[in-house]
Amino acid sequence: MASITVRELSRSFGATAALDRISFDVAEGTFFGCFGPNGAGKSTLLRVLTGQLPPTAGEVLVSGIDVQGNGIAVRERVGIVPEAESPPSYLTAYEYLAFVGRVRKVDDVEGRIERWIDFFDLGASQDVLCKDLSKGTRQKVMLSSAFMHDPPLLFLDEPFVNLDPIYQHKLREYLLHLREEGRTIFLCSHILEAAQKLCQEMIILNRGRIVASGSVPQLTAEEDLETLFLRLVEEDVHP
Amino acid sequence: MFILRAMLREEYRMHSSRTSSRMMFALPAFAFTIALVTSLALGNIMGAMSLEELLFNVNAGVFLYGVSVGALGFIGRTLVERRQGQLNSIIAMPSLLPMSYRSTFLCFFASDAIFYFALLIVPALLGILASLPFTHFSIVSVLSASLSLALSFLYGMSLSFAVSVAGTRSRGAFAIIAAAIIALLLGHGALHFYGIEWLLPTMGYQFSAPPLGADAPLAALFLAATIMATLLLYAVAIIMVPESFQGREARHGRLYPRYFARFASFGSFQPYLAKEMVDLRRSGAVGRMVLSFVIPLTMLSFTSWYVNNGLEVPVGFNIVFYAAMVGFFSVVLYTSLTEVDAHDFYGTLPVAVPRVIRTKLIMFLMLTMGISTAFVLGIAALNGEAGMLWLALPVLYVVSVYMVVATAYLTGLRPNSSLFDPAVLSKFIVISILPSLGLTLMSFSVGRTELAAVAIAGVLVLLLAAAMLLYRRIDAKWSGRGFN
Repeated sequence: MASITVRELSRSFGATAALDRISFDVAEGTFFGCFGPNGAGKSTLLRVLTGQLPPTAGEVLVSGIDVQGNGIAVRERVGIVPEAESPPSYLTAYEYLAFVGRVRKVDDVEGRIERWIDFFDLGASQDVLCKDLSKGTRQKVMLSSAFMHDPPLLFLDEPFVNLDPIYQHKLREYLLHLREEGRTIFLCSHILEAAQKLCQEMIILNRGRIVASGSVPQLTAEEDLETLFLRLVEEDVHP
Repeated sequence: MFILRAMLREEYRMHSSRTSSRMMFALPAFAFTIALVTSLALGNIMGAMSLEELLFNVNAGVFLYGVSVGALGFIGRTLVERRQGQLNSIIAMPSLLPMSYRSTFLCFFASDAIFYFALLIVPALLGILASLPFTHFSIVSVLSASLSLALSFLYGMSLSFAVSVAGTRSRGAFAIIAAAIIALLLGHGALHFYGIEWLLPTMGYQFSAPPLGADAPLAALFLAATIMATLLLYAVAIIMVPESFQGREARHGRLYPRYFARFASFGSFQPYLAKEMVDLRRSGAVGRMVLSFVIPLTMLSFTSWYVNNGLEVPVGFNIVFYAAMVGFFSVVLYTSLTEVDAHDFYGTLPVAVPRVIRTKLIMFLMLTMGISTAFVLGIAALNGEAGMLWLALPVLYVVSVYMVVATAYLTGLRPNSSLFDPAVLSKFIVISILPSLGLTLMSFSVGRTELAAVAIAGVLVLLLAAAMLLYRRIDAKWSGRGFN
């Protein structure tokens, strides 16, 4: 069964087409990668898939729900790590996780917070205001808030950004564990090395269009992901 | 200069983000037209109000507007501290580029002043000038009044800027300065130790210059005093701007769970209200609200007192009129509430924009009702009008609820930038001016005829019905919108 179905999706900002009639499916339990250069439309796609931005045209189903007009229902079922947003300035890390737990109405809020504070070693910064945290610590808080309700589907936009190599490794291992558990993960990134180790299926976006799609082993059978990526983007710019 | 130019561009783009450029440029035309029409109707207004009262009210109003938009110390700090969010501003650049915060704040103030002058103040003054061929005013009088109004605005901005920068350095200093300003207003309004011209020197100029007076040396003295005071406040503010806005990694007590428990009776709003309360406690927004609400309200209170008692020909402003004005004015607090923190992170949670708007509305009611009631009770006692409170208090509550719901419906979580859209501004003026005019006219007759109270009750019922309708329609208008 498809966890995500995208048909002829377009999203424009004025005259600029950020996404141009793209279609793909993500099967349940798949670790799916969305790659592309800066400005390719990855973050826009993620925002449309999570109901934060309405599509201009086309259809998007997430967990069987039409995202158009049902953003809350979608976001109840998924975890989201955005590329740019930070946790609220005037709550501490602990308080933000408590807030997320209350909004999501999860059981054992305290226990879940403790789990993620331990996982990301946030003990020393859990009572510091989010605005005063380092970028890396803020990213850990955003990751914790996306994981704390154990969602079956995760949308991660550049999740490794600002993390040191130790936590990049730890996060990669955790994501692999989720993959083994059968969770669906939609990852947007331009860190190709990490992506190649994690993803089973992928699309490459450039200028709002899909320039390649398929299984990672199939697409990288003849060339590594970086070479493939550079070639496809170059061919798209200078056909 | 290039920083100033870039900031002006930024200011324009920020305010036009909710509208088109064409609509944005319609705003000066809008201000021009409103001023022209008001000037043409001035003959009728003058029947109910003396020229002295009129000029005092307009100067006080423009001064308060300057105060409300000039809290750039607080605004600047918020922009700097929010630098990791999706939006960034030139004012945050000194942390990355070889620029000083002082010079950046200097440009920030200048760009804001130029922006408001170009968009609103100058077109409005031109509107007044354009009415000259059709009115009996002399050009000298109009130019003199225009100068006074422009300076009142700048003086208000500078005062607010200085106080807000002090507030960013020390909450204690801010509290002392705010208390001193309120004490100064009390010294004039309640104790009559000195005239209004010693607080608002543009009034000293206005009383001595045409059309009210012809004492050129005294007018020049007050003019110089206003300019000096404005520049001094501006300079003090710039000197006080800190050269670092780095947050300290200080530990904080866990307020959120405490407030979460306290809001248990608010049902599904419980987690959101608890967050709002923590934000208010920690962000320093309370200081900003004091600047934009309590101090202007104190000023408004003494304006009301002055018009009733300080002038030779009282015009019958009573506590019912004052309550309505407080209700209309309280809407500025809603704007402050929407600017405490960015809302972008809500996009990652199962939360819709109407939920956050309604949370702000509940918080608004909790914050303002006590303060507004205290002011109305205080002025009723001061003016010996306690007997009219039975009508004044319902007027206060209904007008406050109506105004804030209508503002929230029209502007959502971005009232500041949305009101720069002339289409939104026109609707806002219609929904605020019509009831305001009705209540004002009817309030003058309270005590003279019983019909006035019945008519006011009728207007209140209509306003409540309108507020309920708009409250329900917030869902339809804002459900599909994102947080950024």
